[in-house]
Amino acid sequence: MTLITSPVPRWRAVSTGFVAGRRLTVVLVSLPMLMTLLALFGRILAPHDPVQPVGGLNLPPGSDGFPLGTDAIGRDLLSRTLYGVQASWFSALLVVGVGLLIGGLIGVIAGVTGGWVDAVLMRVTDLFLALPGVLVSIAIVAALGAGLGNTLIGVSIVWWPYYARILRGEAKSIAARPHVEAARLAGISRPRLILRHVLPGVVPTAVVTASLDVGNVVLLLAGLSFLGLGQSAPAPELGSDTARALSQLLSEWWVPVVPGLAVLIVSLVANLGGDGIRTLVTNRR
Amino acid sequence: MTRTTRPASPVTASPATASVRGLTVSLTRGGVTSEVLRGVDLEIAPAEIVGLVGESGSGKSVLALTLLGLLPESSAPRLSGSATVAGVDMIGGSAAELRRVRTTELGAIFQDPMTSLNPTMRIGAQITESTHSAAESVRLLSLVGIHDAAERMRAYPHELSGGLRQRVMAAIAVSGTPSLIIADEPTTALDVTVQAQVLDLLRELRDRMGCSVLIITHDLGVAGQVADRIAVMYAGRIVELGTADEVLRRPANPYTVGLLGARLSLGMHRGGLLTTLAPETASVEERLRGCAYHSRCQLATTDCATETPSLDPLESGPDGHLSACWRSPAKVGSLAASLPARAGVELPDLTSLVPIPAVKGPAVEVVDLTCVFRGKRARGRATAIHAVQGISLRVEHGEALSIVGESGSGKSTLLRVIAGLTPATSGTVAVGPDRPQMVFQDAGSSLTPWLTVGEILRERLLPLRIPRAEASRRVESILESMGLSASIAVVRPAELSGGQRQRVVLARATIIPPSVLLCDEPTSALDASLAASVLNLIRDLRERLGMTVLFVTHDLAVARLMGDRIAVMNRGRLVELGDADSIITRPQDPYTAALIAAVPELITDRRADS
Repeated sequence: MTLITSPVPRWRAVSTGFVAGRRLTVVLVSLPMLMTLLALFGRILAPHDPVQPVGGLNLPPGSDGFPLGTDAIGRDLLSRTLYGVQASWFSALLVVGVGLLIGGLIGVIAGVTGGWVDAVLMRVTDLFLALPGVLVSIAIVAALGAGLGNTLIGVSIVWWPYYARILRGEAKSIAARPHVEAARLAGISRPRLILRHVLPGVVPTAVVTASLDVGNVVLLLAGLSFLGLGQSAPAPELGSDTARALSQLLSEWWVPVVPGLAVLIVSLVANLGGDGIRTLVTNRR
Repeated sequence: MTRTTRPASPVTASPATASVRGLTVSLTRGGVTSEVLRGVDLEIAPAEIVGLVGESGSGKSVLALTLLGLLPESSAPRLSGSATVAGVDMIGGSAAELRRVRTTELGAIFQDPMTSLNPTMRIGAQITESTHSAAESVRLLSLVGIHDAAERMRAYPHELSGGLRQRVMAAIAVSGTPSLIIADEPTTALDVTVQAQVLDLLRELRDRMGCSVLIITHDLGVAGQVADRIAVMYAGRIVELGTADEVLRRPANPYTVGLLGARLSLGMHRGGLLTTLAPETASVEERLRGCAYHSRCQLATTDCATETPSLDPLESGPDGHLSACWRSPAKVGSLAASLPARAGVELPDLTSLVPIPAVKGPAVEVVDLTCVFRGKRARGRATAIHAVQGISLRVEHGEALSIVGESGSGKSTLLRVIAGLTPATSGTVAVGPDRPQMVFQDAGSSLTPWLTVGEILRERLLPLRIPRAEASRRVESILESMGLSASIAVVRPAELSGGQRQRVVLARATIIPPSVLLCDEPTSALDASLAASVLNLIRDLRERLGMTVLFVTHDLAVARLMGDRIAVMNRGRLVELGDADSIITRPQDPYTAALIAAVPELITDRRADS
């Protein structure tokens, strides 16, 4: 009897690739968790007050006591960046959370109920989707006045329709499955039907969509803050810090580049983490 | 091992078309590795049709995939032994060699032609991919019995009926003038009247082209209709092999006897319990140690649990009839003779269920019901499908009515309208007094995947506002009365087997006994023996609870067993309605007669028709 363990050698390559893929997924998913920890403890880690001048003007990175250097009025760039990352990360999570809540509620109700309720809710959603999101949020912030709270309101208002669209489709397809019909025949009440028999099925899609979206919100918020629609002047914020120091790009490049790079890293971490979560959820299905 | 003789190969003049020797295959799924085939020997002679019969999980499809050299790489197959087709090793051969064998020596027909044909290509283009000439494609399409072949070439798969699609698959399968056609459940997805045509086609292709055919099926009747020899598989081994006539008339293995007994036929007695195979009680390790069937076998003795029997020729019997069993063919023969009187499983205790009070008047009354689906086609043309057209029905309390029809006859739509899941276009439906409960075809998808069995069942008790402890007690007792362990209340549906899921669905339907139970093909996705046990349970529940049952099925034998009366539907209309036995013995409508004629019956059924 001949024992053939692996008729086609390619199989081994595939299987090790799978193991490496798993390890990569774990690393990817842990990135946003690390970012959350960094944001949580940013205030404790920061060596100096981010608003007060504490050292020489425009010290380059690596200077004694100021690892990332100082800005034009002598504030510590590391401390400002840590505070900025905290504001940027939690704001993005908040906008996505609010978007999921409003969009999910509207989408699931529309998808499960159908009929005129579906039509009305989805036309309203279409209306919001048809507007240019960034311009509308700029307009809202301009009307309400600059500030972190108003920026979040402005962005949240344009951000939920995206979720409503996606989750409505998902809820509609789940509501058409036999197990929902069976539950309906079993005499389950409507709220219970939505909460227990439809909503849990929507969660994987919602989690994947939201996690891939955090990076976009980070960029949008930084962009608005760059345009001066974020927190007012002395507060540490990555977008406005980059904008204010832009004139120094050729002389003291680190002053605008440090907060700009921080935006890039935060958004990159969000996207990589989203990819990891997507892999994890699709494999689980 | 006490016996060391190797199985004798059937004596054939010319070399075999396909040969499998000592084939063992392990597959890994979800991190668990299991031996799916455990030492299979099989030879297929030129121009021979071999029927490979087994229940789901017996490994019959894995054997087909091995012969095709198409085992999925994702399941990390490990193989030993040999499998050759036309002299080429399908296990160790190079990828290029396997591809050559697949194009020139092999043809494949799968269960669902809709998923194996490309929906975006005209069928002509798909056949021409393997024939390389349009004229040849037309010739093949005519060969497989498609009229107006030249015009059909321009059709897309969705424009053809299931039977025609399977014929197109057959045309592609024979395009390279193969020496072996492998047909994996080619008729399972088709209506009975079409089934017979496809089986005839397979025989005809063999006669005309001289190719061998390996037909894989779960139905001994299908194999008996078409095959020269039958191989019965159980738990990754061939347990009986012989000519179709021998295996069906003189089965030499207790498992074959069990399969024959669990088969429902038009001629069987309507009263009493249906024969089922005993449930599996041995663990996986115990099954591997001895004969895998021993815990379910009535003839088993202690040595059956410790020693695996090999597939050997019968001591007394014709050449080429082999069986893997320690018991003598005479003993197995007497088991076969005692079949109809035997009850396979003990019936669950249903005493805790309270029958519903009797009510006068009809339980279900349908008057002039019509159900039309309106759809939109391309270019805005509206189409209307008349699923149900002017049906009137009256079902008394406690009565059981079977509704029979082929796919597209509107039988399921009728049931859904009665359930209140689909609105009627016109006409009235009165069901009462309470909400009817329904058992679906696919039990798995009718159970919410993320809820546990206990949560699903407790939910139905919510309107009663009973304390949690009492609800849990009722859930436990209903599970036990369905023949399930109470411990599965904490398990999610995905972890249950098909038969267990259907029992959970029945438990949900009857935990508060409904006056009307609607069943939509509840057993068509189950193996014969499991189906019989679920049918037994439904009949028993009906008797004890006094429920009215509406039972939709495509299988006339099941319809006759489950219904006092049978309603036959065709294209949305009721063509015949009457007493179950008289419909079968004296059909009045030509359509009913055609349905009855198309049922694949065993040779032995005709004999047992007394």
